[in-house]
Amino acid sequence: MTASRRNTSQRLTLVILLLASITVITVAYKGEARHVVSSVRNGAGDAVAPVQRGIAAVLHPIGNLFAGMAGYGGALGDNQRLQLEVGQLRRQLIEAGQAQEQLDQLRSDQNLPFADGIPEVLGEVISSPSSNFDLTIEIDRGTSNGVGAGMPVVSGAGLVGSVISAGEHTAIVQLLTDPRSEIGVRFGTGDVAVAVGQGEGDPLQLQDVSETSVTSRGAPVVTSGLDVAAYPAGIPVGTVSSVRHTGGSLTSQVLVTPLVNLLVLQYVAVLQWFPPA
Amino acid sequence: MTMRTWGRLGIIVLAAVLVQVGVLNQIVIGGAHPDVFLLLAISAGLVAGPQRGAVMGFTLGLVADVFVQTPYGLSSLCYVLVAFAVGLAAGMVAARPTFGFQAAAALLGGVGGTLLFAGLGTLIGQPSVPQHQLVVIVAVVSVACVLLANLAYRLLEWAVAVAPGAHHDAGAFAGGSAR
Repeated sequence: MTASRRNTSQRLTLVILLLASITVITVAYKGEARHVVSSVRNGAGDAVAPVQRGIAAVLHPIGNLFAGMAGYGGALGDNQRLQLEVGQLRRQLIEAGQAQEQLDQLRSDQNLPFADGIPEVLGEVISSPSSNFDLTIEIDRGTSNGVGAGMPVVSGAGLVGSVISAGEHTAIVQLLTDPRSEIGVRFGTGDVAVAVGQGEGDPLQLQDVSETSVTSRGAPVVTSGLDVAAYPAGIPVGTVSSVRHTGGSLTSQVLVTPLVNLLVLQYVAVLQWFPPA
Repeated sequence: MTMRTWGRLGIIVLAAVLVQVGVLNQIVIGGAHPDVFLLLAISAGLVAGPQRGAVMGFTLGLVADVFVQTPYGLSSLCYVLVAFAVGLAAGMVAARPTFGFQAAAALLGGVGGTLLFAGLGTLIGQPSVPQHQLVVIVAVVSVACVLLANLAYRLLEWAVAVAPGAHHDAGAFAGGSAR
């Protein structure tokens, strides 16, 4: 084969493969093919789940070690701060007992929605984000366990994200830090906003917060549960980490640090709650 | 390619799936993990040249995309371009790529492939990754590619049964072996 013929052949192959790739992307993006791709992905997830589960059991401690090493410097300071907080929390616990009674009474009086009464399915995280470009985790519970797409996922500390796809024995959970994640939240003195993920390790950003909204650093942020919200009301999301009033604008920039450490998640609970239609 | 070559490639792809979803996805450094499929696409270009390397990259991408939530086919698009580019670069070297050349190809392929994926993803409507996170991803992926470059190269050399120095010959695929 001459060099020119070989070059032509190479270029032709490249063009065909590029067109094939673009066709696959286009076809898989819409319509029936999208469901087929989703089914294949769920099936593949189920197929490799036993391997992932076995390896995850061994590697979770190693993963935690990496995460721990990365944050070792901060951990020393955190330790001292946490010791102080323990004392404060013990005091608050006593006060909270009284407050809880009042809250329970209020809820029963006004029939406020809350995550407490929602049945949940406990699951183990068997895979960290499978791609560097989407913030999802895989858990070892699927449709056979009552898990379905759209269900909120929480851990002991607060909101983790929501199920975006469920196979028979596994499910994919989109983390709240994923840039595609949007959560209706309540904060401050009852203001509502949408918290949008900004990527791994970054705080959530509250959108369209009025300049007149009153909130401060450390204030809690919970799901709002308004109208057709994707989450029930009252799930803790995070705390306000920054409030910035920009001159000349009618809105403030509010950042929220998630309560859950998403890097070292091992167990989560799927709330069997569907967004209202 | 012969049945034996396809069989060996199948074994490598299966092993890659298990290594990626079972092991590498669990080793998260700064929110990023290594990408064994990109490494194999780079090695495919090195071992098999631009044309066959691109075909292998396309196939690897289709398999890789089954296990992620990014648009199906996006990895194929990237791996085709990466394998082709690496194959062209390898074609300029007469002899079997040295360890240094393999490492350099892995480094550049890792950086280029990751940036390409991020760029093309944004182009088709994927949310963009924050710049500082992209730097971490590029660093983790490319360093892992360099560390595993020789192993991946040897595996693909075994799969396509290419004799040393004959990695750009079409005969390696047409007849199953250039030996």
